[in-house]
This record gives sequence, structure tokens and C-alpha cells, in this order.
Amino acid sequence: MSVVVTGLGVVGGFGAGEDALRAVLASGAPVTASIEDAGLALDGHSPRSQRASVVPKDALRPWLAPGKARRMSPASRLAVAGSVQAIEAAGLASEDVAGPETAVSLGTYFGSTSYTYKLLAQLRETGALSVSPLLFMETVANAHAGQIALMLGLEGPNYTISQREASGALAVARGVDLVRSGRAQRVIAGAADEASPIQHVVLDAYGALARPGAEGVQAARAFGREPTGVLLSEGAALWVLEDEAAARGRGANVRARVLALVRANDATATQTDWGDGAEHLGASLRARLEALDTPLDSIDRIVAGAAGARRGDALELRTLQAAFGDTPLPPLAAPKAATGAYGGGELGAALLALEGADWAPGLWFRAGSDGWAEPVQEAPRGPAERVLVSAVAAGGAACWIVLERADD
Amino acid sequence: MPEIVITGLGAVSPYGVGVAALWEGLLRGETAIAPLDLFDTSGHRTRIGGQVPEAPRGLERERDAAGRAERLSRTDRFAIDAAREALADAGFAQDAPELRRAGLFFGSSTGGMFEAERVLLADPTSALARRFSHVGGQVICAPAIALARDLALGGPVETVTSACSASTMALEAALMSLESGEVELAIAGGADALCELTYSGFNSLRAIDERPARPFRADREGLSIGEGSGMLVLETAAHARARGATVLAVLAGAGSSCDAYHMTAPHPEGKGAIQALERALGAADRGAVAFVNAHGTGTPHNDVAEAQALRAVLGERLADVAVTSTKGAVGHLLGACGALEAVVTVRGLVEGVVPQTPGDGPVDPEAGVALVLGAPARPAPCAAALSTNLAFGGANAALHLRAAGTEGA
Repeated sequence: MSVVVTGLGVVGGFGAGEDALRAVLASGAPVTASIEDAGLALDGHSPRSQRASVVPKDALRPWLAPGKARRMSPASRLAVAGSVQAIEAAGLASEDVAGPETAVSLGTYFGSTSYTYKLLAQLRETGALSVSPLLFMETVANAHAGQIALMLGLEGPNYTISQREASGALAVARGVDLVRSGRAQRVIAGAADEASPIQHVVLDAYGALARPGAEGVQAARAFGREPTGVLLSEGAALWVLEDEAAARGRGANVRARVLALVRANDATATQTDWGDGAEHLGASLRARLEALDTPLDSIDRIVAGAAGARRGDALELRTLQAAFGDTPLPPLAAPKAATGAYGGGELGAALLALEGADWAPGLWFRAGSDGWAEPVQEAPRGPAERVLVSAVAAGGAACWIVLERADD
Repeated sequence: MPEIVITGLGAVSPYGVGVAALWEGLLRGETAIAPLDLFDTSGHRTRIGGQVPEAPRGLERERDAAGRAERLSRTDRFAIDAAREALADAGFAQDAPELRRAGLFFGSSTGGMFEAERVLLADPTSALARRFSHVGGQVICAPAIALARDLALGGPVETVTSACSASTMALEAALMSLESGEVELAIAGGADALCELTYSGFNSLRAIDERPARPFRADREGLSIGEGSGMLVLETAAHARARGATVLAVLAGAGSSCDAYHMTAPHPEGKGAIQALERALGAADRGAVAFVNAHGTGTPHNDVAEAQALRAVLGERLADVAVTSTKGAVGHLLGACGALEAVVTVRGLVEGVVPQTPGDGPVDPEAGVALVLGAPARPAPCAAALSTNLAFGGANAALHLRAAGTEGA
């Protein structure tokens, strides 16, 4: 069974909707705010990272009424708004999707850290009897997927997947499996993550976030020889996945076909860092694509998860080099330098890369002669035939998705 | 479609470490739900739960690549202990080369939250409150990472965190990957440890009973929270046959659904649960179902809704189908409950025995199920069973398990 992508919903620090994503990819410069303006400052803490990319106030309003948002955590709001947007973009009405044939498969890195922190603060400061049931409800990691289902009446399987940076790609892969196995006719699949003060402080303490350099400018540069750390962000990226026959039957605008999925693990990784298993991951990717009759030389672009992580970017590059071997590595994009590191930044961008959206050259790389990636002078132009979406997570999990154009 | 079989079981439960401790505890019929001492419960509305009695084997430390110490949480240890047991039960050495290609499909609700709370609940002015390096490793997927590292697993690794259905859905995910040919061997299950976040949260919903949970009883007043892990080794029947493995049971089907009705309450008629059960059973003969290991939390709403769903799927035959709830014995293991209950269900099919649900008092006539009381039931034939979970957020999941050597529909 063939599975296609018919809708995209995106929300991020750049705004909401495809046009906003196109704009930030074209500029190559993330939309950031100081942590104070972003609402990420935490009393008593002085993190070294000073800027983040958070969703602008009121950006979700076209897809989520304030009255309905009131009882949701920030992460649930992002997930629901992105899903409603994706359904609309797929040309589906709410009555089309309600019922048992539509599933949800949502990835989240952390769940709602803001509500978890607030609940623990209640517990610490005013005691267990003061804990709010509303807060608790939204601390549960599948609350966001549950809210999507509740909002849209989706009675199909409802998956929430959390595997660090691979959460979104794995959720898409699980969504594809749900359609292929006949468990659903369509799936809203992707990722949603909020940024919160505690998350900012913890990631900063780990040295995971980009910090201001000597010149006082904070920038996350992917694939750098001197890693910068990542730009903390929040957002959502949701695809509508459908059985191709059903999608074509309703005259949907088919934007991409999911040609292949590959999942593997680097068991050398620890719970908090990337490992050094590029050879194993690369061999797994290569072998699976061969088994799925998807030649590496048929892939003409890669959209990577690289975001400036100290060891993650290097492992991802080495993995791709190991997989491609003697096959030239196609142009390699790192959209998270513009979208920020969380909330499925690579998923929305991958669809636009396939369709040939204009990107700033600073987001594209090629294999350099010294084994590292180097920026290109000019971004690839025009649509691609096949795009490899790459997600290599701290902790070892990796997931790759091959998208191909599905023009009639 | 290849047949998917279960060849190994592992468990850590409030009865202790190991499947034998769990099974013997269940057959004794004494609840393991008791006063907790893992954390101070004096400020909470309730005091009891299902706590694993033996401390997990220390907080072992190892060094990560950046030179920082890494801690293994209680949940990590539960998962590792249960998975090692399951692999040994399946006849695999811990360094078996097959593991290099095996997948891990794992369910958890809170990962290492208990350890993260030691920092996040500390006095904000204390040094401990600033040890954020103790928090960052305790994300929801941390136990799966620790387990994959421990067993050197090189295939897909995925943590499903769909609340109380998480590990049942992890088993469904494993089934999908095995049936599609992505992997031939999978380790699937889940783990969760007690923590104050969930303990206070469920208490805030007034969902916890002050007495040990009494699923399906007329006087039930809520659930008891527990902790532990259940892990299973799954493989294609051809893979198991080729290596001469003993098949314990067949994972004949798995299904999931969403109520899309309410965030914390089940659909009153069990609508979503019916869908999950129907999907798990497919075209299989409903008449072969000998027993059900129900979600059976002991909350007033869940048990009635679940019974309605079972009646809709099994019809009036439900009156003759033995129903048990493991949660009455060990508590509700949250993200791990489905996997632990799958372990119990498989063991039940192997032995032809259905453990009783501890406690006393009459069965709720509104539920109207044939709850196993007083002593284990021995249905004959004992060819197939269902295991169900109805989760927060409306996520439902069900497994259809068949005894080894039985034929599918």
C-alpha cells in the first residue's frame, strides 16, 4: 500500500502556516527573542543562552479559539493548532476526518515541561493536597495527542512517541505503519513541543544550547567544526498521511509519497548524548534502503536534523557518509538553524525542499574535501525527485524517511 | 502475514523481581498493595500503592562520552531486569548476535521522573535544586535508551508514551514491525516507577482509593498506583522455529483506538474499547476466548465502561468468560501495566490458569462480569485470551493472545 502526504500544518517561532515557514527558510535567519521577552526566564537562574525562538502571541488564533485553548498546556495548543491547519491544508473538512478511520501519531521530546514544573512547584510549595487536576491532566505526555483527537473527533489509534530528537520522524514512521497495516485510512502525524523556562535552564546546564560568542551574538550553526549548541524553540509540524488510493479518489493534492522508512539504534549512545556508532547506523540505512529497492543515488536532497549539537551533527554527517559510501552525498539541508531545534522543524521543511521552495544558501551544505560538511554558495533550485529526511537522536535512536514527488 | 510468537517473559512487580515472584504472588491471591515508603506520603490524600520491595540493583553509574556520570533510574533498572529475564527465558545469551538487529518497542508514562523529582522538589535554595544534570537524563525515553544500551540493540528503538495503554501499544507497534518484515526479533514491554507527580496527580483527580483497589467490586472507590516492568520477547514463528525456541503463546492481534470523548473519563459505553477489541480480534473466533485480563482499574467509571465493551464484543458469552484484573493485586503500573498484564496473560495461557482478583465484597452487578474470585480459575479449553487497557486521553488498546499450538481463524 502506498502512503502519501496531503497536508501540512506548521507553527514555530517564525509564525504559523506554510508561508511563514517558507519565509524563514528563505531568509535563513531564525526569529528569536531574549529569554525575558520569550517568557523563558526562571527566577534565580542565569543561563548563558540568552535567546530562543518561541511562537508569537496570537499566532494560533486562526486554528484554535482562545476559549478552547484555555484548558490546554502550551504543547497541546501547538499540537491542536498544527493539526487543524494540516487538515485544512489537506482539503479535508472536520466531518471528513471524524471517526475511527483517522489516527494520530504525535512525537514529543519532553511533553509539557511547563505544566510538569508548575505541578511540582505546587507540590513543593503548598503541598500535595493543592495539586491542580487540570495541571496534572496536561502533564501526561499523551495529553497533546488526546486533545487533537478530542478537538477533531478522531477515533483511530492515538500514538504518542518520545525518543528525543527522533520523536517526530518516528511518529511519522509509526503513522505510515498504521496506514499500511490497515489500522487507519489517514493519520495526522508529526511533532509538537513547547519551550519552557525549566527546559531552557536544564538544557543550558547541559551545554546543549547556543550561547553568545565573543562578539555577543548567539547563533546556532549546524555542521560546524566548532559546534555552537542549538537554538531552543517550540512549535509543531504535522503531516496528513493517507492511503494513496483514497487520497486520489477524493481528488486530494498529493504533495509527496512516502517511499521508504528506516529505523535503527546506536547502542553506544548514553541517555544524554550521542554515541559513536556511525558505521552501524550508516550500514543499517544503506541495507534497508537496498532491501526496499530505493537506491541511494536516486536521492537528490537530504534534510537533516542537524541543529548545532556538539556531537549530534558530527554523528549524523558521519552516518550519512557511511551510508552513501562511494555514492556522492547529495546537498544537505539543516533547516533547524532557522526554525530552531524542537517541534518538528525538519518535517515541514522536508516537504518544502521536495517541492523546491527557495531556501537561503546558509542552510545548505555539501560534503567537503576534509570529511566535514561545508556551506554551499547557492542553494539547490527547483523541485527534487527524492528527499531523505534524517533524524539522529541523542540516546541512539535514528529514523529516516524517503519522500518522493508524486505528481500524476 | 507471518505469525508472531512470544518466546520469553520477564517481570518486576510489587511481588518482587521475576515472573515467578509475580505468578506465585498472584496465585496466592494476596494483594501486594501496601503502605508506601519510597517517598513521604504524609501530605498526600492516600498512603498506599504497589511498591517493588527490593531496591533495584543500585544506581549504577557509567561515564558518558563527555565524562559526566550517568545514573540509572528505578525505571531503568526495572526495565533492564525484566528484559534480561525475558531474553534468558527465550534462550538468548545477553550478547547474542541477533540482538544487533532486534527492535525495542517500549512503553512508559514518566520515565525517570522519580529521580528528576529529587532535584525539582528540593528546597530551591539548596545545592541539590541546581543539579540539573540529574534531570536532563530522566526524560520519558530514558529507560528505553538504557535498555537498548544494556542489550546492545541495533534495530528500531521507540518509546510509546500513551499513558496507561503505552506498553500495550508498544506491543502493537512491535507486531506491526514484525509483520511488515522490518525486524524478525523484538523486545517489547514497558516500565514505570512510582513518583510523586503521578501519585499527587491521580489523588487530585480523586481517582485513588484509600484501600487497595477492588476492580469490578460493587464498593470500589478507585485505583492503586504501582510500579514495575513487564517485558516480552517476540519473533516471527519462522525465526523462533529456526533457532529451536519454545513458543509460549501467539500474539494473534493487537488493536488500538481513541474515545475522542473526554481527557480523563472513558466513553460510558466503551465505544473506543470496543473498536480496539474488534481490531485485535479481527476475524478470529470470539468463542475461543477463555479469559480476559481486564484493564480493571477499580475506578467506578472504568470498570463499567470496560464491561460494556467486553459484552459488546463477546456477547452474552461474557458471563462464561473468566475475567481477572492484575491491578487488584499489584496496582496500576501506568505505562507498564499493559505489558505486565500481557506477561500474566501469556503465563495464564501456558498454565491454563487464570489468577484470582484479590479482595472481598460482591461483584458490581452493573459490570456483570465473571470475576475470578477466591481461587484461580482453570478454564478448559484455555486457547485464547484478551488483555485490555483504557488510558487517559481516551487511548484504548487490546491484545489477542493464543495458546501455543492453537490455530488461528
